[in-house]
Amino acid sequence: MTIRRVLTAALRRRPHALCGRARSTARCSVSDHRVRARRVLAAALRRRRRALVMFGLWSALGAVPVLVFGRSVAGATDAFLAHRTWPALAWLGALAGGAAVGAVGAARAYGPLAAIVEPFRDALVRHVVRGAVHESVRTGRADDGAVARLTQQVEIVRDTFSGLLSIASGFAFTLAGALIGLLTLMPVTLLLVVPPVVAGLGLFLGLVARSVRRQRELILAEERIAESATALAGGLRDITACGTEEAVAASAGRLIDLQAAAARSMARLAAGRTVALAVGGRLPLLLVLAAAPWLVRRGATPGVVLGSLTYVLQGLSPALATVIRGVGGSGLRLAVTLDRVMSAAEVPPVPRPSRAGGSELALCRVTYAYGPDAEPVIDDLSLRVPEGDHLAVVGPSGIGKSTLSRLAAGLLAPVRGSVTLGGVPAAEADPSVRALIPQEAYVFGGTFRENLSYLRPGASDHALDHAVAAVGATPLAERLGGLGGTVDPAALSAGERQLIALARAYVSPARLVILDEATCHLDATAEERAERAFAARPGALVVIAHRMTSARRARRVLVLDGTRAWLGAHEDLLEDCPLYRELHGHWTTEGQAPAVR
Amino acid sequence: MTASRLVIRTVRYGGVWASLLAVTSLLEAGATLLLPAVLGRAVDGVLGGSRSLTWPLVYAGLVAVSMTCDALTDLSIGTGTAAATARLRHLFTRHVLRLGPSAGLPAGDLTSRAVTATADTAYAPSAAILTATAVVPPLGGVIALILLDPWLALTFGLGLPAIVALLRAFVRDTSAVVGRYLEAQGRIATRLVETLAGNRTVAAAGTAEREAARVLAPLPDLAAHGHATWRIQATISGRGTLAVPLLRVAVLAVAGYELSRGRLTAGGLLAGTQYAGLGADIGPVIAQLGRLARARAGAARLAPVLDQAPPAYGPASLPDGPGLLEFRGVSAASVLDGLDLVVPGGGAVAVVGRSGGGKSLLAALAGRLADPDDGEVLLDGVPLTSLEHGALRDAVGYAFARPALFGDTIAEAIGGDAETAARAACADAFIRRLPLGYRTPPSEAPMSGGELQRLGLARAFAHPGRVLILDDATSSLDTVTETQVGDVLTRDGRTRLIIAHRVGTAARADLVAWLDGGTVRACAPHRELWPDPEYREVFGE
Repeated sequence: MTIRRVLTAALRRRPHALCGRARSTARCSVSDHRVRARRVLAAALRRRRRALVMFGLWSALGAVPVLVFGRSVAGATDAFLAHRTWPALAWLGALAGGAAVGAVGAARAYGPLAAIVEPFRDALVRHVVRGAVHESVRTGRADDGAVARLTQQVEIVRDTFSGLLSIASGFAFTLAGALIGLLTLMPVTLLLVVPPVVAGLGLFLGLVARSVRRQRELILAEERIAESATALAGGLRDITACGTEEAVAASAGRLIDLQAAAARSMARLAAGRTVALAVGGRLPLLLVLAAAPWLVRRGATPGVVLGSLTYVLQGLSPALATVIRGVGGSGLRLAVTLDRVMSAAEVPPVPRPSRAGGSELALCRVTYAYGPDAEPVIDDLSLRVPEGDHLAVVGPSGIGKSTLSRLAAGLLAPVRGSVTLGGVPAAEADPSVRALIPQEAYVFGGTFRENLSYLRPGASDHALDHAVAAVGATPLAERLGGLGGTVDPAALSAGERQLIALARAYVSPARLVILDEATCHLDATAEERAERAFAARPGALVVIAHRMTSARRARRVLVLDGTRAWLGAHEDLLEDCPLYRELHGHWTTEGQAPAVR
Repeated sequence: MTASRLVIRTVRYGGVWASLLAVTSLLEAGATLLLPAVLGRAVDGVLGGSRSLTWPLVYAGLVAVSMTCDALTDLSIGTGTAAATARLRHLFTRHVLRLGPSAGLPAGDLTSRAVTATADTAYAPSAAILTATAVVPPLGGVIALILLDPWLALTFGLGLPAIVALLRAFVRDTSAVVGRYLEAQGRIATRLVETLAGNRTVAAAGTAEREAARVLAPLPDLAAHGHATWRIQATISGRGTLAVPLLRVAVLAVAGYELSRGRLTAGGLLAGTQYAGLGADIGPVIAQLGRLARARAGAARLAPVLDQAPPAYGPASLPDGPGLLEFRGVSAASVLDGLDLVVPGGGAVAVVGRSGGGKSLLAALAGRLADPDDGEVLLDGVPLTSLEHGALRDAVGYAFARPALFGDTIAEAIGGDAETAARAACADAFIRRLPLGYRTPPSEAPMSGGELQRLGLARAFAHPGRVLILDDATSSLDTVTETQVGDVLTRDGRTRLIIAHRVGTAARADLVAWLDGGTVRACAPHRELWPDPEYREVFGE
């Protein structure tokens, strides 16, 4: 994909260009945005060179009315003044014909424009989607901004990119048409027209360069306001309860004032554009008017004078007005927004080494922490889960049980120590050897069969039916209309979603199944049924327990308590481990009347 | 306040900038209208061999006026809108904060009102003025044509309906195609949200590429609808680029004929073609009307919120006291009906009852996050409604099931002696495991529901008040942590009102207030209530 190539090329040159999303706003300088945006856009245009040429040709045809306008006015005026009606009408006919040609050109230009813009949009959508999926897989967090990038920012890029292409080509060909027209009418007028136009454009470009930083500040100020409003609206109850209305209003107010200041400073620059417009669009007219007596003395007919003025009035001035009013903000908006879209890191899928091995899980003196300054979540833990084992992991919430499951599956790399599956480092082991089912069951819109065979594509209906029955999902299957039935994730309860995820794991080829609170939304009976089904399944089972009853069913129990860990059978732990006793005691007594204090 | 009144009020927010805009945009419109006529005179002078510089100089002067006004117009639109936006946002934000939870709107809705609706409404001053002045050029253009040569005006009048029909066709044709395009985009977004929510499964299964392909499956559809939008635009543009020039040709032909008859000068012909252009230039009017409509729609979203009266705080300060909390004949939201309850100072009362029975409402009433429809709530003998804002908030601390944290760091979000409070809430250990410990920004901390709850508890523990209200604030904690937090709570000497679902929480409290049928069915120690099977049923026994 071209974007990726461009991006990797850009990265090679400036490694910090692809800093994370949060950091990119702070650290990447404005020039980085523009460089990256320019590269990506240039690549998009290069890829569609043919469409670009066709777009140019049709746009050129679209400028034909401008080209013939002044000449027709000149010819018709002189003919009318000479009372030669037919030649006059012929000139007007030429003008009408030019308008028709121009209309065809303008309409046909949209085809190649679409052929440039639409594939570019497709590429951006692919980039956003693949980036978001890979990023969420890498970090374990859903990127909240991905949907906004997909639906809003990509569309802003699509609109501004096509708008800029249209404005740029419209300006170029209208300007060319007017200048060529003047050249054929009375070449000397070009001396009056070209210098102010060049000066006006120069002024304008200078202003654009100066407005880049402020425009960016404005966009960022608007984003910060939106973020603060979201936090405020979601936390009204807490703000009131803490009595911090004034402090929150003050901090939100500061952002509001910052945005207003940025908007005011943009308004001053916008006013400056008028100067560029006056020099480039109006000065030529005044010069031609002032020089008119001289032109007449040099033999200009009334028609030629009128025609020249028409070229300036109807060609040059509107073209400059369009480009000066149209390009100013949108060019930068495109650059900044495109950069936002691109900064969703596209993780080039590194081919994961996949080595076949056994299924015995071994953790050797494993330590894991979330940051270099953070205290370890798992500290010097060693553990073996042989084939056929059934291990339950218990401990207070937030103690690192899920972290352990991700380490075991090779999704996290330990800071120290090693995690192996069948002797192969867990991160490199064939993923189909183990299945990890997290608490949030993943169910997607599609058929029941597609959802069930997710981990074993092409599994037979018989195998799927067996799995459904084994985990106790038969009533759900019937309700959905069997394997061919459609699954609407939003219409399912959390428990039903977990049943689907369980059946999926059951039918998978995995020799090690890790259930990370994967049954927490089932009732105790349904949980027991599912767990027993997995225990009877060949291979090893690790259950991160939500209820203590899961521990009683296991062959061995691992108790985690942050700094320490105990491993043993249920009965032994009840005797040796006070925490286990406590966990167990609280669970069992909760249902009954607690001791009276 | 109606939307229209808010729009009018916003126009006043434009202040001096709005007045400047009115003057400059009107002057600019006037100059625009005079320019073709003056140019015509100047050209006639030149062609007639006159050496007088009067008309060319008048023309140059008008251009200067027009450009100056143009610059000032841009400046006053931008500055005035920025000022009005800021004023509306300040007004709205402060009002919403005063309303607090009684604003009663979903967060997303409130956000879009605070950000988008304010910006839309703030354009009202500019839109109102520009709509008025944008009428001048087309109207004046037609009048000028009539004055110049009635036949020109007639020709123009016959061609105009074509342009109007065209502008209407644009709105009609595009909306259907754009709708299908957005629908395809929505399908991709839905699939993406599904996949992102299932990121752990996708990570474990190593199916990221497969998922990306699944999410992108509707992309060809999107592209097909995208191409359709361009085709429609091409058709419309084709018609548009033909209609205006043809109208111009017609005017030019008639003007030429009049020229040859000597009823129009060459300068008049030049002016005539320009006035025809001005007369057809109704785009800005439509654009400004659209913006005015948007401003009004924005105002219609702001006005109902601004109309809500915020709860008023009284002048009273709180006398020293143990934190005695009394509910007297409290009715609220058709859920609570004449409820009486006394929470003894320094005591712990657990509130139990079926879900939907008004437990959270009671918690909200206890610290005036809501006001009762009838009856009153008193703290140490003072009605909450008469308490001054600071006195009330300093006296009552809250912890919620899903707390929202404010502050740049975890320490700031907890407030007070954050580490001590965090230790009491069993949050210290996991905070220390965060990437930056107590300096981690709350938004960047990977937290489970239970961990977030513990931060909310820590914030409540750090609060210095005499009353502590826990609204389901331990529901996501595991049993061990809940016990530890419960022990801290038991030792806490403050008045505590604890909304509870679990038996253990109720058992630890001094008294249990059993809510049933909108009032307190019984208020007694847990052990006295436990024999009642209906009481046990509350806990799902």
